[in-house]
Amino acid sequence: MKLGNYKKLLPKIVVGLVIALIFIIPVFTTSLVTLSKFIVIGFWAIAAMGFMLIMRTGQISLGQAAFMGLGGYTSAVLMIKLGWPFWPGFLLAGIVAGVVALAVGVVAVRAGPIAFSIITLALAEIMRILAVEWEPVTNGIKGLVVTPPFPIYLDYYFILILVTITALVFWQIDRGRLGSLFRVIAVNPTLAESEGIPLTKYKVIAFTIAAVFTGFAGSFYAHFLGVMSPYMFGLWQSIQALMMGIVGGISSLVAGPIIGSVILNTLNDLLSRLPIYSIKPTLFGAIVLLVLLFLPKGTGLIDLWRMFWNKVFREKSVTVASPN
Amino acid sequence: MSLLELKGVTKFFGKLAAVDDIDLDVQKGEVLGICGPNGSGKTTLINVISGYYKPNRGAIYLEGKKISGLRPDQVAARGIARTFQANMCFHRATVLQNMFVGSFLQYKTNEWQAFFETKTYKERRKTIVAKVMDILELLNLARDANVPAVDLPHGHQRIFGIAMALMTNPSLLLLDEPTTGMNHGEATLVVEQIRKINERGITVILIEHNMKVLLDLATRAVVLNFGTKIAEGKPREVMKKQDVIAAYLGTETV
Repeated sequence: MKLGNYKKLLPKIVVGLVIALIFIIPVFTTSLVTLSKFIVIGFWAIAAMGFMLIMRTGQISLGQAAFMGLGGYTSAVLMIKLGWPFWPGFLLAGIVAGVVALAVGVVAVRAGPIAFSIITLALAEIMRILAVEWEPVTNGIKGLVVTPPFPIYLDYYFILILVTITALVFWQIDRGRLGSLFRVIAVNPTLAESEGIPLTKYKVIAFTIAAVFTGFAGSFYAHFLGVMSPYMFGLWQSIQALMMGIVGGISSLVAGPIIGSVILNTLNDLLSRLPIYSIKPTLFGAIVLLVLLFLPKGTGLIDLWRMFWNKVFREKSVTVASPN
Repeated sequence: MSLLELKGVTKFFGKLAAVDDIDLDVQKGEVLGICGPNGSGKTTLINVISGYYKPNRGAIYLEGKKISGLRPDQVAARGIARTFQANMCFHRATVLQNMFVGSFLQYKTNEWQAFFETKTYKERRKTIVAKVMDILELLNLARDANVPAVDLPHGHQRIFGIAMALMTNPSLLLLDEPTTGMNHGEATLVVEQIRKINERGITVILIEHNMKVLLDLATRAVVLNFGTKIAEGKPREVMKKQDVIAAYLGTETV
């Protein structure tokens, strides 16, 4: 009996300790380099969660960078050109990203899953070109230089809280009515429609919610880096959000993307030390391929972790990557 | 007054008219049987009525209001439910979970209420459970409530399809070959269940190949061939007509 209790309690203690540790990291180190790594991981975790939320409805967005850019530029432009303080610009960044997603989503979502990917890809490219060409507002390729509003340790807590809020909201969506509607739309749209579920409405809702949070994250990221330029949101950034989601595992909306972000950003860091820079995308692609080849059906690292967890602590079999 | 009215409904696939200039009146409370050889346009007709296909010509009215041109989910919201020829369910979900999804139209809740799981939302959910169990008991599926729907035996899956359709609270139910692949005993059970559904005041349009089922249930029958209506009337009389027999078995010309 006693042993059983320990077995039950131990995982909770471990998770609690890890979370506590994450919260007190700035107490041990205020090194810019170390904290920056965590901040980057947090930013990408939100982007990947957004990607996965859209994927829940059966659509693959190849343009999540558009919303990072929209968020970043909205608050940067408001600060530099109109002298707004950080907070209202930050809030508006999410709203602008959401409004654009709503407008584009209504069209893109009806075009079918493949056209949706192409349209979102095109949207991101249009945004990038706009950022390059609309010089009076965006300063073109020179970009906008903003003064970071917070010291680095506050940046750390900022992204930590933003990730926590995003995770809680997405988790609540996923386990509730919206989440089950999203899944149902992806699994069997024909049957869903016959039950009176409007497909377009819920696909657009997922797309918009994802865009709002990605917009917030993009706005924060621009202010943390102190610069907003068109280089910061291209195809590669959209693909990165996708890869982190896939590597994390498509069964999980919150934990998967966070793990994906941790793994790929750490890897990114290690690879950056290699002398040949251009090898990075190739290796990233290879990793995604390996995951898809050896962990088919959308199983990701989160599922491997769950299997291990259950083996050690619960000895209960798990169904991997089931959408329901 | 007729419940459903089709006026000159035509649906083309390329140059082929799968449904060709069909007029149809469905009376409240009846069971209308639709039969005809393979490819005669029966399923296309159901797809047109339920909004999956838009008719190229003609119009459809439900209780005098035009419904042609609406999306499938809008048609479902107006009170027309349908089943499919193939067994359909939401992958891996249990029968009960599936039925909950089907309750979408019945508790039109605010998404915010659902997100924050407010009291009203929870109370509405309770009434849905009662509704689900009522339907499952009507169709003798209550024992399967916690079985994943994909794992049900074929016969039960067909009935489960009807249960899902009933979750939308329809006034008109379109059944697309409910007894395909069933043995005689199972088919007899389905006949009983459809009769019970009809007794609750739900009008039924029934597409069926099994003549015994059709003759047992239908109060009126329509025969389609090459997308046009070739006969209409009392089921037993319709089946005796020369061109109906010819459509099914071919003519005697050698």
